[in-house]
Amino acid sequence: MRVPYWNIDYGFLIDILAIPALAVFLSGLYGHYRKIRKGSERLKTRSDKLPWKFGPVFVRSVLTKGILGTVIYRKFYTGLAHGSVFWGMLVLGLGTTLAFANLIAKVPVFSGSFNRWFMAFGLDLAGVCVLAGLLFFLLRRLFPPDRLVTPRERSGFFPMACLLAVILVTGFLIEGMRIRASAPELGSFVGNFVAGLIPGSDHITSYHRYLWWFHGLLALAFVVYIPYSPMVHMVLAPINTALADPRPGPKMGVIDFSRFDDESGEEMPSMGVAKLADFSRKRLLDFDTCLWCGRCHEVCPAAQTQQPLSPKMVMATLAGFLSANDFTDDSLADAIGVDALFNCTTCAACMEACPVSINQPKAIMKLRQNLAMERSELPELMSKAYNSLEQRRHPFFGTGSGPKDWQKGIDVPIFAPGQTEYLLWVGCAATYDERAQKVARAMVKILSAAGVSFGILSKPRCTGDPAKQIGNEFLFTEIAQENIAEFDELGIQKIITLCPHCFNSFTRHYPELGGHYEVIPHSVLIGELIAARRLVPEKSDESICLHDPCYLARRNHIEDPPRLALEAVGRLVEMPRSKRESFCCGGGGGNYWSESSGVRINQVRAKEALDTNTDVIATACPFCLLMLTDGAKKYTEDQKVFDIAELIAARLNLN
Amino acid sequence: MKTLIIEKIEPKRIGELVTVGRILGETPDLLALGEGEVPGTYPRAYQCPETIAANLVDGVADLIQRDGYQVVLLSATTLGSEIAGRLGARLKAPVLSEVIEVKPDMTVKRPLYGGKAVAEYKIQGNPVILTIRRKYFEPAPLEGTTAAAVFNVESPSVVLLSEEQVQTQGVRLEDAEIIVSGGRGMGSADNFEVLREMAGLLRGAVGASRGAVDEGWASQTMQVGQTGNIVAPAVYFAVGISGASQHLAGIANAKCVVAVNKDEEANIFKRARFGVVCDYHKFIPALIQALREEQ
Amino acid sequence: MKIAVLAKVVPDYEVPAGDFELAGNRAHARYTRMIGLYDENAIETGIQLKEKYGATLGIVSYGQSEDVPILRKAIAMGGDSLHLVLGESDDPYVIASNLKIALEQLQDVDLVLAGQQSADLDRGVVHGVLAEMLGCTFLAQISRIESDQGRWTVCQNHESGSRMLQFSGKAVLSITSSPENVPRIPAVRAIMAAKKKPVEKLQGTDAPPMQVEEVKVEIPKLESVCEFLPFEDMQETSRMLLARLREERYL
Repeated sequence: MRVPYWNIDYGFLIDILAIPALAVFLSGLYGHYRKIRKGSERLKTRSDKLPWKFGPVFVRSVLTKGILGTVIYRKFYTGLAHGSVFWGMLVLGLGTTLAFANLIAKVPVFSGSFNRWFMAFGLDLAGVCVLAGLLFFLLRRLFPPDRLVTPRERSGFFPMACLLAVILVTGFLIEGMRIRASAPELGSFVGNFVAGLIPGSDHITSYHRYLWWFHGLLALAFVVYIPYSPMVHMVLAPINTALADPRPGPKMGVIDFSRFDDESGEEMPSMGVAKLADFSRKRLLDFDTCLWCGRCHEVCPAAQTQQPLSPKMVMATLAGFLSANDFTDDSLADAIGVDALFNCTTCAACMEACPVSINQPKAIMKLRQNLAMERSELPELMSKAYNSLEQRRHPFFGTGSGPKDWQKGIDVPIFAPGQTEYLLWVGCAATYDERAQKVARAMVKILSAAGVSFGILSKPRCTGDPAKQIGNEFLFTEIAQENIAEFDELGIQKIITLCPHCFNSFTRHYPELGGHYEVIPHSVLIGELIAARRLVPEKSDESICLHDPCYLARRNHIEDPPRLALEAVGRLVEMPRSKRESFCCGGGGGNYWSESSGVRINQVRAKEALDTNTDVIATACPFCLLMLTDGAKKYTEDQKVFDIAELIAARLNLN
Repeated sequence: MKTLIIEKIEPKRIGELVTVGRILGETPDLLALGEGEVPGTYPRAYQCPETIAANLVDGVADLIQRDGYQVVLLSATTLGSEIAGRLGARLKAPVLSEVIEVKPDMTVKRPLYGGKAVAEYKIQGNPVILTIRRKYFEPAPLEGTTAAAVFNVESPSVVLLSEEQVQTQGVRLEDAEIIVSGGRGMGSADNFEVLREMAGLLRGAVGASRGAVDEGWASQTMQVGQTGNIVAPAVYFAVGISGASQHLAGIANAKCVVAVNKDEEANIFKRARFGVVCDYHKFIPALIQALREEQ
Repeated sequence: MKIAVLAKVVPDYEVPAGDFELAGNRAHARYTRMIGLYDENAIETGIQLKEKYGATLGIVSYGQSEDVPILRKAIAMGGDSLHLVLGESDDPYVIASNLKIALEQLQDVDLVLAGQQSADLDRGVVHGVLAEMLGCTFLAQISRIESDQGRWTVCQNHESGSRMLQFSGKAVLSITSSPENVPRIPAVRAIMAAKKKPVEKLQGTDAPPMQVEEVKVEIPKLESVCEFLPFEDMQETSRMLLARLREERYL
């Protein structure tokens, strides 16, 4: 039987020393807590009944994303290395705890097969895993991929990994010396191997003793240093995940403007975020948790086309303010760059890729809200779109179309209260852009063919979503309330949307303003109508490549219904980046109205689609349609981009 | 109708107003502003070195009342708009601005709503003050010169500190009456040379679509469209431009769009007055040759 | 220093030609109404003067009560007060007489700014008439204004360049658009505050209109019908195109 603290006098001192170490560790964590508590809002524990939610804690995501770290495995080797270190350390920690339990309560862990298979073999194996993982990480820090160092690298990983590696190596040496000085131990394959390498000496026991203390003190130092190094992520990451609403998308919510009405208040709250103190506690926790791994940078359409924005840069900059304890400096937006903040297409690829459940788009949008609403700073084109939206209630300034042009030559019913079932919500793009008008026309043809009871509003309206994306929540709220009032008057309950942005607004934001409707995206409805054989389009052998709109696939997890519909008329081919990992067309976040420089996002995406050698490119969003049509022009003269409704309508045999 | 023209000494501007004056009656009298010989012959001519309208109103009003002018003609320019309103109010006379058509029976037309509508008026009172939109009337040839009586301005209230004429290489895009623009269909930066040649012959400016600027074929300052220059030329040649809505937004006020594109489905034809469906390589050189022949 | 800016609420000036229709000789009522294009430049210019010289800025309009919510934008941008003279006339003399009522009510206005022309009737006459009625200087198409010891120095943009002019005393200036007076986007807080500002509504007056009869208003033939020229013989097509462009007075 193994003797605990073999060869060590007063070994329990290390356990006693663990008490102050732990105290420093906890005080470090408390430091983090105190900073985060300076955020403006508490965590929302209220109302929304979501499954697996207890208080503010989302139990399911903390188990999957937080503990199992499921997202990190999307990069297989990194995931494997991280898993080796994490699970290895967990096993080693358990071993240490058991040894302590043996010391104080004589728990018999050092005997029998438990000792052989867990305390000896298990811990050796865990140690090997940790070392292998650390070797991977150390090499990667020496030869880092772009994402880790662009725009800058978070310091502290390398020394901590080195420290941990030294702890591991000394651990194995101690084990080897102990075995060399006593007898080989069953199961300790590393210890036995190391023992074989150690030359015999009278001094082994003293070397062992010195090394044991060194190893122990180093381990305590590691624990002490955790809260002051990036290793604090082992605490913060699960907490951040536990508190992150797992529903997809940034979940911007709505702003209650009545609280700005009271001018007598001591201090006016900011609209959006100007300084760190304006952020909610969850956002501050995001900045604190972020490891700057750059996975967001890698998937960000703006960052990947050399525009000023990088979500990682945003997080790193905000983390800088947080670590400097600078809660009152209102130059956050300037530190990040106003241009960069407006580059965001709100595609949410960053948060989808984030292993620690950070909501980057929300931080970006909150800063943008302040620029839009308080500083009135908008890029030129966006300001034109905003002005148009404010004056005419649609953002398509300079349009050549009147509100009814898209209906020329076809009969479109007007929604009749009490008689019509669905409101066909046309939206701004399909009303005012000539290319997108064809989508509305196709949809009318489809709905009529399928015998769906539908009607449009007599006067076109906008959901207000472009205002929200540009950052002007005030205008969004105004427009949304006008719409809700009209819908109430008409008794509208079911809505078909042509645009995923409208869909997202209706389902995510309108309920918070009192508008509750059953909303169905046109691509989903078409799929259902085909499945029910109310539409029987002709199938062809044409290949179709679907570009998933961010606001359908990633932000609302609608991935299969459009595919089901398209399979009825052709043969689907997929791009490398599809479904919820789709790459944005570049038009989101109000960036349909932007002057992007350099490589264009829509060209990158159009090329990706054309590289599949597809016959046609399908999408289910008018903005994607317009952006990709423009992007494809660089590579082909043929018109290849169509909306799903156009493709189906063209293959309907109407007799 | 006893008519007085008030205009700077610029033959074309005066010529256009003479044409209008003759529609209403005999050759009108002239109050010429500025230095130099007074071109053309008039029953009566006055000359005043002052070109600041604000300083002229008192004297002009006296002249009109004294000599009993029934019609005062100005061009719809800064000068004209600066005189017309005040003069009208002084004389309690009707004022119609930006007139584009004049008939002998004193009916005139002027555009409303950015040219989307045209209104016709019958003038009843007199005197009447009209500002005439430029380039709607063929300028009458002005022969000879007239010795003009000196017209003095008493106690000017506005002082001219400095004057700056805009110097530009060729014609400025936003001022150009004719613009020749190339798009992605041009194929290369070198191909823009034919557009420059054509623009030179037409005394116009060269523009480009965002696509062409993106490709680096044309400079940013040449960009026409929502993101570039908003232009309002008389003729806009769109060569190899598909006509995205963002581009059309920049030429919304172009009076006539001529589209040259090999894709007959191209959106630009929806906005165009004239369309040629062909490869511009064939058409533009032919057009250049036709322009040369005319000169 | 007291500045007044004249602002007119007009139907959407960007309605595409294809969608434009008339009702009773004026733009159909279905179009969105907004502050005129150049009027916004004038408001912006006024706000900049206010910021620079600590002036007070009154917004003056002639129109109907329904215009008030639209005019509030001028307050949100930075105007101090809103004065609306109620009336429906399109006649420049009637409009000027009514605007004069509000300006007299404001008392001692040093400078009146107005957009160079309204964005509906595109006339550019009212401000000159008003200047004459007020008996003050009038200058057209001004892009920059500076005040120096009781004198005003202004920059006038004309067809072939620009010039600097100087005068003293009261004046009406028509404002043209320039890179310096791009209308600002009002901040949300200012919009909210503007909604609460009281509006001074003044009863309009009858004044003698111009002696002109509006016979008719028509929409000119739609230009957007594209005439495709033949493309067999390019020389012939070129000559034909040039001839047609001359015929229709484009060249």
